[in-house]
Amino acid sequence: MVLISAVRDYINRMLQDISGMKVLILDSHTVSIVSVGYSQSELLQKEVFLVELVDSIYKSKEPMSHLKAVYFLRPTSENIQHLRQQLASPRFGEYHLFFSNILKDTQIHNLADADEQEVVQQIQEFYADFVAIDPYHFTLNMPSNHIYMLPAVVDPSNSQHFCDRVVDGIASIFLALKRRPIIRYQRNSDIAKRIAQETAKLMYQQESGLFDFRRMEVSPLLLVIDRRDDPVTPLLNQWTYQAMVHELIGIQDNKVDLRNIGKLPKDQQEVVLSSEQDAFFKANMYENFGDIGMNIKRLVDEFQQISKSNQSIQTIEDMAKFVDKYPEYRKMHGNVSKHVTLVTEMSKIVEERKLMLVSETEQELACNGGQVAAFEAVTNLLNNESVSDIDRLRLVMLYALRYEKESPVQLMQLFNKLASRSAKYKPGLVQFVLKQAGVDKRTGDLFGNRDLLNIARNMARGLKGVENVYTQHQPLLFQTMESISKGRLRDVDYPYVGNHFQQGRPQEVVIFIVGGTTYEESRSVALQNASNSGIRFILGGSVVLNSKRFLKDLEEAQRIARSSTAVI
Amino acid sequence: MATRNRTVVYRRHRDAVKSVRAPLFSSASGSGGPVIEMASLLGSNRSSYAPLSTEDPGPSSRDAFTVGLPPSWVDDSEQVAANIQRARAKMAELVKAHAKALMPSFEDGKEDQHLIEALTQEITDILRRSEKRLQKLSASGSAEDSNVRKNVQRSLATDLQNLSVELRRKQSTYLKRLQQQKEGPDGVDLEMNLNGNKSSLEDDEFSDVGFNEQQMVKIKKGQQEREREINQVVQSVNELAQIMKDLSVLVIDQGTIVDRIDYNIQTVAVSVDEGLKQLQKAERTQKKGGMVRCATVLVIMCFIMLVLLILKEILF
Repeated sequence: MVLISAVRDYINRMLQDISGMKVLILDSHTVSIVSVGYSQSELLQKEVFLVELVDSIYKSKEPMSHLKAVYFLRPTSENIQHLRQQLASPRFGEYHLFFSNILKDTQIHNLADADEQEVVQQIQEFYADFVAIDPYHFTLNMPSNHIYMLPAVVDPSNSQHFCDRVVDGIASIFLALKRRPIIRYQRNSDIAKRIAQETAKLMYQQESGLFDFRRMEVSPLLLVIDRRDDPVTPLLNQWTYQAMVHELIGIQDNKVDLRNIGKLPKDQQEVVLSSEQDAFFKANMYENFGDIGMNIKRLVDEFQQISKSNQSIQTIEDMAKFVDKYPEYRKMHGNVSKHVTLVTEMSKIVEERKLMLVSETEQELACNGGQVAAFEAVTNLLNNESVSDIDRLRLVMLYALRYEKESPVQLMQLFNKLASRSAKYKPGLVQFVLKQAGVDKRTGDLFGNRDLLNIARNMARGLKGVENVYTQHQPLLFQTMESISKGRLRDVDYPYVGNHFQQGRPQEVVIFIVGGTTYEESRSVALQNASNSGIRFILGGSVVLNSKRFLKDLEEAQRIARSSTAVI
Repeated sequence: MATRNRTVVYRRHRDAVKSVRAPLFSSASGSGGPVIEMASLLGSNRSSYAPLSTEDPGPSSRDAFTVGLPPSWVDDSEQVAANIQRARAKMAELVKAHAKALMPSFEDGKEDQHLIEALTQEITDILRRSEKRLQKLSASGSAEDSNVRKNVQRSLATDLQNLSVELRRKQSTYLKRLQQQKEGPDGVDLEMNLNGNKSSLEDDEFSDVGFNEQQMVKIKKGQQEREREINQVVQSVNELAQIMKDLSVLVIDQGTIVDRIDYNIQTVAVSVDEGLKQLQKAERTQKKGGMVRCATVLVIMCFIMLVLLILKEILF
């Protein structure tokens, strides 16, 4: 709740003091930021009757001076350029400028130079520079996410852009929450260290006045970790509702695009999956596929009851009742269609790709099981004709990540088989993954087989049996959160920046995963928050990953690494 | 949530730049004038939808930027908004009248009924007129601010729909309470009204003497009056239902894709894109069109013939 309500508060404040008809002008990033938290009908209530993009080339030259312009942009140089052009020949009566992050003085001076007509009434910084997709989950929707896998020397300017954007996003989170955190980072990740140090510099030195909030007794914690410490979670197939939709179809800014998936009626081609607006989704987003099926059936039954009663209209009273309830009925109809469509499409995909079979092996690889059995299972699936290329690749990757050191010969065999079976497979990708995220590079105990305590725990779990073999995997993040709750996050693995130190347990923790989060991890965070442990966790990342996106990042990084001279 | 206001820094720099530029202009007003104007504009309290027409054209140095009057449809939308306000006020009156009519009283309550009827009729009229005007809104105006118009329409349509729903709900509760009340003292009467045959049988059964002439007349008159009341309320319910159906097309469903800001921006871009492509295609086909070529050839032929004719006249 806290992230979405922060964004809504900012937007409310932007619009409430300006009376009259308004036009809201956004850029391509702030469109996402605003759309996930505010709806079009709410904008209309606030008298915003037009929404435009700042760089829209279709903009007419016609002046609309009866409108007041409210700009909400990121403070980038392109936006400042656009603004300068538009201030030089103003179309609207008044201009109110809001920026989502800290402005440099030069940018203010540039704008003042261009504002000859003196149409600008105010310039403010409203720090909503993140996309709040769920109450405790945010993302930054960064375009070239793969940069984090490469050392900075390969592409220094893009690396710097990446770090700057991440630092801006994290800074705006803490400005929105009005806190200044203690910062820790993952020791063996250069990019995490760099981001942590630059954030500390911003918060404690460059803009220390801005961040100087009232100190509570316990400072919150910012933990910057690297995706490559847990490469398994994004590769796994998911079986809980929100994560599954993203894995099989894809969710972007809480919207699902179904246009490529078969023939659907016009109003179901793009749907919204937001826990704030859809009560059924809110209750079922973390449930597994079997339970969802049952709940949807119940929903459809309820709906059928209501439509049956609507059809028997005898008296005037019935008619009146019908007209009364019609808007609700229509909304329910849309909602039920949406969920039924989604579940149908996903069932189709599961059937086609034989995902139940594949996922069983995946979970075995990720959680437990012996090496010999695993090798056999993977080989069988590789030989199976109906398994798709991407699933084969994922299986081999998971096997390689788990049994990297145990049997190199068999690993080679799998590589060769994969290369021979999959036509589109780019050779060396699995080796690249091992180089990036192999056992030597990882800090956390990903498979629970490093120390005796974890091994014992695993054996106990294996003996006890699991409730559902498809959802037995727990992301590494869960262990990290447990360690933080107990105050036992090791300094050796996650050092502090500068001379900060934390006594006791923090009450608010923001975890930022450089390289992207997954919906499985955000589910973990939400369940942890719901368990009332006294600590509130917020999760954020540069993007939201699914297996396709993760593999694409790996391929891009591999391509660049190959073509550049300064390779690791 | 933290914010930071940079307006002061901005203004300072803007004034500094202006004072550098000012010696180049021959205008008299310094930097103080425009700033004060801006401040007064900010301070004035505006009602919603008010046009920005009170700013004077400014000193001669600012010749380029004059504030024009808003387009004409803004007047229409303002009228609809004013109507909505009036309807709301009338609804408050109606609620009071309903409450008064339901209270037990010694009088007949006929004037209360009349008042309620009149008010209900007025409100329904206002809503219907507003709805018609709202439909007209889309037809008028230029294409440039069609988006703004569409959104103003949507917002007003939502308000109108909410008002209709409220009115209907109030009416149905009033109707229900009315029926309950009348049922109380005249329970038997009401039953007779609804179950025609059965009650007449009961009537005969109970006693031949039963209800004498006077009572029958009174009962019949009571029935007719109640029937009339109920019919009228039902009629206004029907009218409102019609209005709601018309309006529901304009209103956005909350929580669907149509309610998303990014979706709306996309569709605008796409439709403008499409429009541009269609225009270009039309232009091309027109240029290539055989029609144009034929026409030019014919015109040239005409001229040639004319010249030949003149020559013939001159030579012979």
